[in-house]
Amino acid sequence: MNKEFKVLARPYMVWLSILVFVPILAMILISISNLNSSVSVGDLVISFSHFKLLLESSTLIAFRNSLFFATLTTLFSFVLGYFIAYEIKLSRFKNKFILLTIVILPMWSNLILRTESLANIMSENNILKSILGFNLFGNISGTGAAVLFGLVFTYMPFMILSVYTALEKIDFALEEAALDLGLSPIKKFWKVVFPLSLKGVVTGSIMVFLPTLAGFAIPKILSRGRIVFIGTIIENKFVYTNYNHGALLAVVILFFILGSILLLTKFDKEGETLL
Amino acid sequence: MEKQRATLKDYGYRDFTVMNKIYQILKKFLVVFIIFGLYISIIVIAIQSLNESRIISEFTRLSFKWYGNIFQEEELMQAIKNTFLVSGIATVLATFLGTFFAIGLYALSKKVRVIWMLLNNVPILNADIVTGFSLMLMFRLLMVVFPNIFGLFTLVMAHLFFTIPYVVLSVMPKLKETDPNLMDAALDLGVRPYKALIKVVIPAIKAGIFSGMLLALTMSIDDFVISYFNTGAGFDNLSIWIYAVIGRRNLTPSVYAFSTLLTLFTLLGLLIYSFLQKQKKGRKNEKNNINGRAS
Repeated sequence: MNKEFKVLARPYMVWLSILVFVPILAMILISISNLNSSVSVGDLVISFSHFKLLLESSTLIAFRNSLFFATLTTLFSFVLGYFIAYEIKLSRFKNKFILLTIVILPMWSNLILRTESLANIMSENNILKSILGFNLFGNISGTGAAVLFGLVFTYMPFMILSVYTALEKIDFALEEAALDLGLSPIKKFWKVVFPLSLKGVVTGSIMVFLPTLAGFAIPKILSRGRIVFIGTIIENKFVYTNYNHGALLAVVILFFILGSILLLTKFDKEGETLL
Repeated sequence: MEKQRATLKDYGYRDFTVMNKIYQILKKFLVVFIIFGLYISIIVIAIQSLNESRIISEFTRLSFKWYGNIFQEEELMQAIKNTFLVSGIATVLATFLGTFFAIGLYALSKKVRVIWMLLNNVPILNADIVTGFSLMLMFRLLMVVFPNIFGLFTLVMAHLFFTIPYVVLSVMPKLKETDPNLMDAALDLGVRPYKALIKVVIPAIKAGIFSGMLLALTMSIDDFVISYFNTGAGFDNLSIWIYAVIGRRNLTPSVYAFSTLLTLFTLLGLLIYSFLQKQKKGRKNEKNNINGRAS
């Protein structure tokens, strides 16, 4: 490409530098100082007094919940999502576009509304019960199972898409070669197909793990406020305009994300295969 | 002594028919379960939209009245308008800017480009809550200078921040695929670089631009978390409005009707798109056949 076009990237460099770094720096500053809406920049005092929050049992429980559910959600969506992606790849149905569309179509309708209707049918008296005559989900409203179900089926499409993208790129000749050399179909899968699709699994896992870890709307709606995630606490701090505490917790989440990005760049050197 | 005959097993053949059968059954069960999990909420939304009663726990009678009511619900209409306004502006701007930004980034040396692509991924990979919260803090600090900043402006800015990267990411691979000679040929024929960019490069990458636009629209229209933190002055988009109303427990069934309509339209659009794609391919094959016969 013509080197002259470098100029076109310049505004974006400015935009990214400002919008990536300034908010994060502001957030870090607010988390370690007394700066808030009533304190002006003039009498700024740096203090680590907010860090006490991190040791409170409610915060620790929230972190444990977030990590626990994020890990479980990633595991479930990996197993189920990989299966579906693999089946789509194997399917004799020519138009893969339609199959992928079936998987991602639900993502096009409003997430909050979907979660809310899921919460409705998980409660004791619900619209499906009045039609079917029995309770499809039992009465799991407010439990961890309800939250897990909602999280898995909300974020699984991301896993399916990235695994499918990786699977699609595998040369069929490699699989044929593996079979010709005497591997059983199962061994062929484990020794050839799966390692080659690992990149997609890592990308997919991160795309499931991070939003789950930091989410607050889905757990709040599906657990009826009973299971507190770290995101839920941040939201509360935001609602009660306690920005210092909110910022501190957001900074902690940021560290988890940085770790994941480092992991991703190990598998994805150019950072351009995210989609 | 009779010579031992080598069996099929000795050649490494193993019988997988039983396992295969088990797998087939398991497969069907899993597919049904996953489709059920993915679609149950949408089906329930559709059922609720057809329920005559306002009470969501009981189906009384089939009725389409909530569909007619969509336009009468003022708050809902306002939220829908806001959603389309924000997403419309953000998508158009992000598609336009993102395309040119991607071309600019592609013109950089690979070493520099990798760094900027990494930064480009930050808004995508960063958790919504961190992006939303930190942007909100930055806008708050700006409030000293611009007191009425929260509202449409902050929402569009925030949406641009996370939609442009998607456009850049979808355009970039298409740029890599284009033949570099294409540009040189245009320049050799005396076209000025920027004209060549518009006449030659953009048409070559239009599939990437289109998919980037769709991604940007999808992300923007359904966004909740980032919008939630960055809105103000009562400027609610659909997600924020629904989230607030759920708390008050009096959601109008017209929301379900609207959502169902939107899903149906999306489905229809995708079917038409896939049909057109097929026809295009068909026509191409036909052409090839005719050409083949002619030669």
